[in-house]
Amino acid sequence: MDPIGPTSAVRAGRFVLLLLPFMIGVACVLLSFVPLSSIVGLQVAPLYALIVVYFWSLHQPDVLPPYAIFVIGLLYDLLSFGPIGLWAVTFLATYGFVQSQRLVVLGRPFVMFWFSFVITAGMAGSLAWGMACLYNGAWISAWPVVSQMLATVLVFPVFVMLFSWASRSVNSTSS
Amino acid sequence: MKDPSNRLASPLQEFTHRVSLIFMLTLAAALLLLGRAETYVFDQARQVVTDVAAPLLELASRPVAATRRLVERTDEYAYVFDENEHLRDENSVLLEWKEKALRLEAKISRYEALLNVQVDPSISYATGRVVGDRGGPFVETYIVNLGREHGVASGQAVVDSDGLIGRIVSTGANASRILLLTDLNSRVPVVIEPTRYRAVLAGDNTPWPRVEYLPTGSGVAPGDRVVTSGHGGLMPAGLPVGVVIATDDGYLRVQTFSNRDRLDSVRVLQYDFPSEVSRQDPPLALQKPEEPEKEKTADAKPASPAVTPTPAPSGGQ
Repeated sequence: MDPIGPTSAVRAGRFVLLLLPFMIGVACVLLSFVPLSSIVGLQVAPLYALIVVYFWSLHQPDVLPPYAIFVIGLLYDLLSFGPIGLWAVTFLATYGFVQSQRLVVLGRPFVMFWFSFVITAGMAGSLAWGMACLYNGAWISAWPVVSQMLATVLVFPVFVMLFSWASRSVNSTSS
Repeated sequence: MKDPSNRLASPLQEFTHRVSLIFMLTLAAALLLLGRAETYVFDQARQVVTDVAAPLLELASRPVAATRRLVERTDEYAYVFDENEHLRDENSVLLEWKEKALRLEAKISRYEALLNVQVDPSISYATGRVVGDRGGPFVETYIVNLGREHGVASGQAVVDSDGLIGRIVSTGANASRILLLTDLNSRVPVVIEPTRYRAVLAGDNTPWPRVEYLPTGSGVAPGDRVVTSGHGGLMPAGLPVGVVIATDDGYLRVQTFSNRDRLDSVRVLQYDFPSEVSRQDPPLALQKPEEPEKEKTADAKPASPAVTPTPAPSGGQ
């Protein structure tokens, strides 16, 4: 006798679980281009998509696989009018870097989690800046990327709260 | 960070993710290299994505723009009395300048009529709103909600109420991309007043673009005004750009009149360089007087050089 399979509601919940991190990533890319930064006087908007990549790479890498991260990075590249592939490479490298930190960071206090993101943001910013310099064959001012990463680190707790809530609610739906 | 979903992946999943990661990294790196060689396909892809995203960004930017105006207005209320006094002083100075400008305008019109100067063609424009923020830390571009349907084309100059901002580099049906003067890839031919030396304004992703290709000993000094030269025919001549400033790195740079961090409404100038100019007759005062037909046939001597009609200027640049 076959065991009873999941109900359609459970299946729908699982489907949303699979799509939600990706959709949040796309929404965060678009949010980076909404001129919010001009209100608070920031030169460059925070890189919200990096928080998405970091959060889900650490907690549930199976729901945000590398090809989804590639699409999010590519979308950022296309919208930013910058070198195509630059942010895709950066986000994928971030994914790989976070994978190596999973056992160290998971289950630790939030401060440790935040500190780990500071290191990740530093790595991602340095990589992107280095590739941009090589691509353009010129020394590009590092200040915009430094300020962008600082802003991203500052908004990190708020976004992590929202992502944790979203992740929990979808998990409870699918379980 | 206690989460029920914090489970470690199975070895098989981990292996699949690792292979997938290497494949995607290789693909992204290949795109990065290809992007340097092949630009047409990528430009088209960029424009399609921009066209799709522009309505969403416009929708999202409306409340943001309203909030920003509210913040600015609140700031203005705090300084309204000081501002009023400042404006009164400025107004009295400007009225003197207005008188001078009117006198000069009348004088210039007389000279232009006398010299039969070819005036610049009238410039039409389309007004739009900046809907997207800057394109990240390595690019200085903005998205504007004007496209081919509004007559916008690549190369057209974009100005705000203070002066030149940049030029259009990519156009879709409903949205276009502005490359700011400060971008690494921006090069604009300019003239520095009052010496009228030509130079190129080159962006380097800092807020102050560099003045390049100035002749040595040109005597350009901080405070000199920079305007577009119109060379190349993409932009009209005389658009205000900024003032020259000296920086610690030894370069002469320009503080632009427009503030790139507060861009809202902008105008895209639809300027057509007058490449085909109709022949102009010289002024009546310089034309050779009509001679009787018989005198012309009897006397075969060439006309005096003093009355030879001067050729009309070929363009307004």
